[in-house]
Amino acid sequence: MTNRPLSLTVNGKVRPLDGVPESERLLDTIRWRLGLRGTKEGCRSGECGACTVLVDGVSTLSCLTLSHEVDGSSLTTIEGMADDPVGHEVEEAFARAGALQCGYCTPGFVIALVGLLNERGRSASVDELLADLGGNLCRCTGYLSIARAVALLQKEGR
Amino acid sequence: MSGSRPRPDAAAKLTGSAVYGMDLEAPGMLWAALVPSPIAHGRLRSVDLAPARALAGVVAVGAAEVASLLSGSKGDPERPIFPLETVVFRNQPVAAVAAPTLELARQAARAVRVEVDPLPIVADLEDVFPVWPAANAEGSPFVAAHVRARSGDVEEAFRTAETVVRETYRTSSVHQVAIEPHACLAEVDGDVWRVRSSTQTPFGLREDIASLLGVPEEKVVVEGTWVGGGFGGKNSALLEPYALLLAKASGRPVKLALGYREEFLLGRTTLPSVIRMESAVTKGAIVARRVRLLLDVGTSLPGRDFATGYSIGFLLGPYRTPTFEVEGYAVMTNKPAFGAHRAPFAPQCAFVLESHLDHVAREAGLDPIAFRAAHLWKEGDTTPMGQKVGPFGLATAFEKARSTAARWRAEARPDAGVGVAAGFWSTGTGAGGEARLRLSPSELTVVQGEREIGSGSVLAGVAAVAARATGLPRDRVTVAYEDTAHAPFDSGVFGSRTTAALGRATEEAARALFEDLGKRLESPSPVRLEVRHGEIVAVAGAKESTIRELSTEEERRTGGIVAVGKHYGKSGTIDESKVEAGTFYPYTDFTGAAHVAEVWVDRETGTVRVTRYAAFHDIGTVVDSATAPAQVEGGVVMGLGTALTEEAIWSDEGRLLNAGLLDYRLPTLGSVPPIEVTFVEGFLGAGPFGAKGLGEPPIIPVAAAVALAVRDATGAHVTELPLSSERVARALKLL
Repeated sequence: MTNRPLSLTVNGKVRPLDGVPESERLLDTIRWRLGLRGTKEGCRSGECGACTVLVDGVSTLSCLTLSHEVDGSSLTTIEGMADDPVGHEVEEAFARAGALQCGYCTPGFVIALVGLLNERGRSASVDELLADLGGNLCRCTGYLSIARAVALLQKEGR
Repeated sequence: MSGSRPRPDAAAKLTGSAVYGMDLEAPGMLWAALVPSPIAHGRLRSVDLAPARALAGVVAVGAAEVASLLSGSKGDPERPIFPLETVVFRNQPVAAVAAPTLELARQAARAVRVEVDPLPIVADLEDVFPVWPAANAEGSPFVAAHVRARSGDVEEAFRTAETVVRETYRTSSVHQVAIEPHACLAEVDGDVWRVRSSTQTPFGLREDIASLLGVPEEKVVVEGTWVGGGFGGKNSALLEPYALLLAKASGRPVKLALGYREEFLLGRTTLPSVIRMESAVTKGAIVARRVRLLLDVGTSLPGRDFATGYSIGFLLGPYRTPTFEVEGYAVMTNKPAFGAHRAPFAPQCAFVLESHLDHVAREAGLDPIAFRAAHLWKEGDTTPMGQKVGPFGLATAFEKARSTAARWRAEARPDAGVGVAAGFWSTGTGAGGEARLRLSPSELTVVQGEREIGSGSVLAGVAAVAARATGLPRDRVTVAYEDTAHAPFDSGVFGSRTTAALGRATEEAARALFEDLGKRLESPSPVRLEVRHGEIVAVAGAKESTIRELSTEEERRTGGIVAVGKHYGKSGTIDESKVEAGTFYPYTDFTGAAHVAEVWVDRETGTVRVTRYAAFHDIGTVVDSATAPAQVEGGVVMGLGTALTEEAIWSDEGRLLNAGLLDYRLPTLGSVPPIEVTFVEGFLGAGPFGAKGLGEPPIIPVAAAVALAVRDATGAHVTELPLSSERVARALKLL
């Protein structure tokens, strides 16, 4: 296993990183090398969605991604959402709909939804958005308030 | 739409700034890993730490190091931190290691050589007691607790009854599955043991750690972090003692966090049961009941089992049953100890009780819903164990559920089914706590040791109580967290107690605060608080003064006028003459819910789909109208998992076969039906303004309502949980 440098643009800022092991997961690079712990570690095996981030605007499970695979990419984490117009709207909708409880899955849901809106366009239907959010797990809310947040967002966004 | 005002924690959680146990870091910290026992039962021959220590930077501790690290203290002799002679469940930690990176720590853990001589493994309680009556139960080393109670002439009632029904039910092991795994960070500073942890119970954890390490409680300091889901799984020490020992051995801060697989393997949760139900009915009335419970409690310690004596009551009530016999055994097996899981074991009891009474009514030619409605407790009734029933809205909730079910049945497609189920719970409001309020010139602060675990009970519930009790607007009330060395004592966030019990203490603190302000104003008139131009003003009769003016110099420097309130709750009493063995527990309050489920069952695969759902809850007074319905929605959906898909499967060797989210199936966004939530008001509890607890009740009736809907749709009488496709298909004779 060798360590190599890599470079990521993280929430708009270029972040060159030295000595990153080839086997390091993007999740660990984000949390422990970049210190951005808003990206949550859940199952580490692609089943819960808590670690979702945007890589070049596409929603990605950071626990199943090697950091070197995305060398040179632009990365957006929950900490970057405040500066993202769609991200900000999504956060507002979650807050107004009370779509969170313990909050541990919340960054993953917000990012996944922003990724879907990037992919499908701002006019995507509520049903198709909800169908595609099915890979994110939440144990507290029972999902209904999250569905209401999506409905609120799409009603006001149009 | 609930929540026009966002939750106070929304911003921190939506921007990623909230720090959970998993996120903790300290300068120079080491990462820890646990060394698991390779088998579920065996005699430890050796635990050789040398190969781990040979790796650069690795610190390792095992049973041999404990005494010197604890300066001679033996800790709790019944609960050694590492096993001394025998391991009793698979993956039981036998040693712990720490290293500068997690990868190296895991490598070191794998390098430890563990030699165990196998002993016979008992993984299934039916291996211990294959038949009832348990003739071999007397003096059995597998019995952690035995309870028995009776009232009236049971034999005679059964002999002379018109209808007698006898059935056996089985329930499965279910896991809490908080999305955040257990995690903590430990530091040892001189003789002070300090830990930050994702815990529901900072003070309970302090007590637990002190007992496990054998050190005084005041030498242990716990600071809670944000908690990424608890559900009962984070209410006692699990990782902290290992992390503290490693911190002591290394002189460095030590982080210990579980991987998700370990989360399943080490978690203490609900274990399987076998339940025998017998009922005797004459002229439409229950004349006698007999309940026999075998509850797997894993490696729970003898005498410390609470589950059996508490749970068995939920197999009788909430129904009038004057003549009965109940007997239960807590059976030890080679699994982790039984642990709390949102209304521990109550959803399983409700499933068994409701399914059984429905079946009894059908056998007796009675209407199943009317039969249960006719026997439900109302205020003033007496429980089977002789306790007076307090204000209780379950019968009212059940009537509402019944009319909703009738409406849905009329509307539903012909192959749909509708089920109605009741659930009863008594919340943990007896557990005590204290509240400290601090009134500054511009805001009121509730000082807390508990952290918000997501339900909203601390940040929304207790804050709402403080606002209502002082008359201040909600935006003038904040919650501040302190560690256990500085916060007022409270029992913890569990048992649906927080808003109710800590809320009561908060109400008392507000009363003390107003008394103090009255003295400062030198007025006998009642005091009220107002906000004028951003300043809080106390008014009593003709006198008034700003809080700034009423504060002493010292209070102005230290943050405000302080008032303290306490609440140590009371339980009712039971008729001890009915108890023949073990301990039965009185109820602290009477909360309940009636639920309606509509299902569609695939006649080829047995797959059940819940298509709509309604929940009617008695929670006394609703304290926070935004978070209360959210609790019900979340609890119902968790209950759908227990009802349909969640089942931890243990092999004969005590190996958990589905320790991951692909094989242990949680409800997902696409599987959730619309849920109507209604609060039945007017049945006041002992909490602030008549509130009762809410966190647990929503999960209780769910599996029962779904099972009865499946029966309504298909005629299938499923007597095991969960109602997996396979079990339903079997009941439909498709397999």
